[in-house]
Amino acid sequence: MKRFFYYLKVWWMMSKNSFLGMLTHRVGVFVFTAGKVIRFGFFLAFLYFLLIRTNTLAGYTLQETIFFFLTFNLIDVIAQFFFREVYRFRPLVVSGSFDLVLLKPMSALFRSLMGGADILDLFTIPPLIFAVFYVGSQMSPSQVQVLFYILLVLNGLLIATAFHIAVLSLGIMTLEIDHTVMIYRSLTNLGRLPIDIYQQPLKGFLTYLVPVGIMISLPAKALMGLVSANGVFWSFSLGIIMFTLSLRFWKLALRKYSSASS
Amino acid sequence: MNKYLSVFKISFAQEFAYRASFIMWRVRNVLQIFLVFFLWTTVFANPQTELFGYNRDKIITYIFGIFILRALVMSARTVDISGEISNGDLTNYLLKPLDYFKYWFTRDISSKALNLCFVVVEVFLLSLFLRPSFFLQTDPVKIILFLVSIAFAVVMFFGLLVLANLITFWLPESGWGAQFLFIVIFAEYLSGAVFPLDILPTVIQNILYKLPFPYLLFFPLQVYLGKLSTGMILKGLLFSGLWMTILIFFMNYVWHKGLKRYTAVGR
Repeated sequence: MKRFFYYLKVWWMMSKNSFLGMLTHRVGVFVFTAGKVIRFGFFLAFLYFLLIRTNTLAGYTLQETIFFFLTFNLIDVIAQFFFREVYRFRPLVVSGSFDLVLLKPMSALFRSLMGGADILDLFTIPPLIFAVFYVGSQMSPSQVQVLFYILLVLNGLLIATAFHIAVLSLGIMTLEIDHTVMIYRSLTNLGRLPIDIYQQPLKGFLTYLVPVGIMISLPAKALMGLVSANGVFWSFSLGIIMFTLSLRFWKLALRKYSSASS
Repeated sequence: MNKYLSVFKISFAQEFAYRASFIMWRVRNVLQIFLVFFLWTTVFANPQTELFGYNRDKIITYIFGIFILRALVMSARTVDISGEISNGDLTNYLLKPLDYFKYWFTRDISSKALNLCFVVVEVFLLSLFLRPSFFLQTDPVKIILFLVSIAFAVVMFFGLLVLANLITFWLPESGWGAQFLFIVIFAEYLSGAVFPLDILPTVIQNILYKLPFPYLLFFPLQVYLGKLSTGMILKGLLFSGLWMTILIFFMNYVWHKGLKRYTAVGR
């Protein structure tokens, strides 16, 4: 527990620094945040105008389709809020400055993964949670469905964590981060809509190999009462396996770190 | 002219210097098409469906058309102008005997050429995988007007992109924000790259048609798909030409104003 508070304090300090850094270019921050909100609004408007004509998408109503989109945003934004440091990791490895991270009395993975929350995303999380709550409650879910939803969102975040750790590890081994993380984002973007719209073999790929379906679609389905307790169990098993494998991959990558340029 | 030809060749070769980066960028583009392709395939699951003025073939053609036109219209190196202004590298160009805009336009053309080469291969491979059926325009007049609208779109996008970058003269640390808002968000969504604009209510469409964005991708594709009468096409080309002129004029105006503020910080 003492260790937890230690890391919480470190995270708070790093996030505060990150926030102060952002304040140096306030206009850019404001424009960027506005851009994100507008993009969200545009896609929401698209779904609305499409579904008022088609009535359903892959069997899901407008409300349900919007809920899939909101759940995607919730998981995506929270992951970006916590793991923004991953996007800044490459220069550390390329310049050899990662040595300094390894020497500090804390987990190098923690520093590389969560070394500065993205305050831009913090502004969007509360309204997003409210929107999820509002649209979700319109579907009158049972308490069990709500519990499954929360558990599977947490599982989605666990899978997102595993992906980010894998990206960091790959970054140490190949010096490539920027495109890997953007490809991860492009893949998760495929989860903006229910996974049921895809055909095989893409659907299988997105369900089992790169489990975007389990990460994003499944929580929304759980709230609609389409996932059993068994499904939740297996999803969690997959999340834990992925997380464990990503930690092993990180350890392997650390052994390959050459400290070049330092 | 020769010096710009050299710029073209060097820029083209430069793209190959970062092969992995370029290929990853293309992979991301290919991934993006899956969402829209399967979304519309689901909507048009019944081959008899007619929606928003599209049938299955036309909507698939629209999706692939956007994929190709994005490479042609929206591939650009001009995004780097912002960084050059903020770190003072712009000074190097001001001292050289070349026109700054012609230099960047040439680099854009080289980027478009390379992206287009890749897109042709990608469309071929995607066609094998997704087996889409396309709508083929056979009217030569419409094809010519389609090509003219693309030429206008290329110049318009250049103007928009340069203008978004020139904001850096006034906000050196925030040029990226302007680019994100105007190019990544507005140009992307309001040009029809994410969804065809005719799913929107007529009132909104009429407002959008007064802006430059729909003329980047949506309008050329409407011309190709034969959804517009000759009169409407000519009216669209007139608007598009007007916006092109305004943007180029405004680009030069802002450039001269910006140069007066430029302090070559970092040099």
